[in-house]
Amino acid sequence: MHRTSLFSIYFTLFIALLCQLLPWGGQGIVFRPDFMLVVILYWLLRAPNLCSVSTAWVAGLLVDLATGSLLGQHAFSFTLTAFAALSYQRRLVLFNTWQLTAYVFTLLIIERMVLLLLKLFAGNENPGWHYLWPIVTGLLLWQLMVLIFGGLTRPQTK
Amino acid sequence: MLKGIHQKLEPQQSPAFFVRGAGAFSRMVFFSALSISIMAVDARLNYLSQLRQAFIATLHPLEIVANAPSQWYRDAKKYLSAHNQLVQENDALKQQAFEHQVLLQRLNTIGAENIHLRTLLNGNIPIHPKAVLGEISHMGRDPFTQTVVVNRGSQHGIKAGQAVVDDKGVVGQVTRVYPFTSEVTLITDKALAIPIQIERNQLRAIAFGAGNHTLNMPDLPTNVDIKVGDKLVTSGIDGVYPAGLAVATVTKIQQTPESPFAKIVSTPIAEIANHLQLLLLELPETEEAKPNTQSLLETTEQKKDIVKTNQSKAKPNASH
Repeated sequence: MHRTSLFSIYFTLFIALLCQLLPWGGQGIVFRPDFMLVVILYWLLRAPNLCSVSTAWVAGLLVDLATGSLLGQHAFSFTLTAFAALSYQRRLVLFNTWQLTAYVFTLLIIERMVLLLLKLFAGNENPGWHYLWPIVTGLLLWQLMVLIFGGLTRPQTK
Repeated sequence: MLKGIHQKLEPQQSPAFFVRGAGAFSRMVFFSALSISIMAVDARLNYLSQLRQAFIATLHPLEIVANAPSQWYRDAKKYLSAHNQLVQENDALKQQAFEHQVLLQRLNTIGAENIHLRTLLNGNIPIHPKAVLGEISHMGRDPFTQTVVVNRGSQHGIKAGQAVVDDKGVVGQVTRVYPFTSEVTLITDKALAIPIQIERNQLRAIAFGAGNHTLNMPDLPTNVDIKVGDKLVTSGIDGVYPAGLAVATVTKIQQTPESPFAKIVSTPIAEIANHLQLLLLELPETEEAKPNTQSLLETTEQKKDIVKTNQSKAKPNASH
């Protein structure tokens, strides 16, 4: 793991916001991963000295503003997920790739569930099973992040 | 002894390796509380709409960038479409225009006759609202709400509350206006209600969005005269939607013995999935713009009561 620069964090977050703004037509929106969430989780786990829960909160607020949904709901779910991510961050070095993927999977589930609760409290309908698709696509996006910026687990020494 | 103190102090100096600023837990608590209060303010009070508008306006260039690839694709497709396809389309459109011209001739005479009859009866003459043509820039980004975003905003004179139609029927209503774009809530959204009339027997009712691409009419009794396939048109009594626009067709009627009300499901006629162009109708000048869907719902609710008491005073269908 080489050192991370603040620039790469903000640049990837910016790209994620752009992806969030892409015109997701019709059915595509069902499969849209939470770009901002995956990117912020990656940097939270990799460089907790550079971004923190507050960065996640700002990212969530940006998502709220961009999607036009109730202000603060993504901010809330991102905050909780970021906290959950950070609470095990120091133990990540002990994880292998599969364990790390499972960890990210859990985090994505946490975010979806918190958001679902908020949406249901706000009076929305039960969205159905396709609501969980962003978890799967989010994991794929996570793998893409790992491919581009490098993995978080210790390189295997033989 | 000094060495002993050092040994005790050692763990308190946080090593640079673990620097995280304020504790993650306290940050989490603080920002969660902040988010919850923002949600409460946004849901109950309308203070944050200014902030949202400003943000969307600054985001507009980014949106253009994000939309650029699909726009290029569309333009390229248009440019590369084959010659004979264009000729065919041209022929079809000419024929359609001709047919419409014939219909329009009839409509003009009928319209003139209608105005004449209305003046004879001292009725008020229906006004044809002006309209702005808009294009859907994208479907709403929140999969929970049924919205589309249109590339016309307050800079083009769009106001919240305007009715939106396409060539087939009613699409919905403008709910949020940003400087260059505006958000159109579809009639199938849970927050929206639309006063309708069954075309066959002029029965009036209110249709509510069901949230799943259909409409509900929850307050019609089981013995109501309604059939599958009935066409619902706007009744025009709310002052937002002009009368006589197609809204939906009834697709399912369910009568359960334990409920005094029939469960009537209808699907919208407008086909927003198939094309991009929409018409944003101007609000009638006498009416005030209704800024949010909540107040709209309340007013339609009140109108419903008025309608129930005034059933005998039938209001003729204006545009047909």
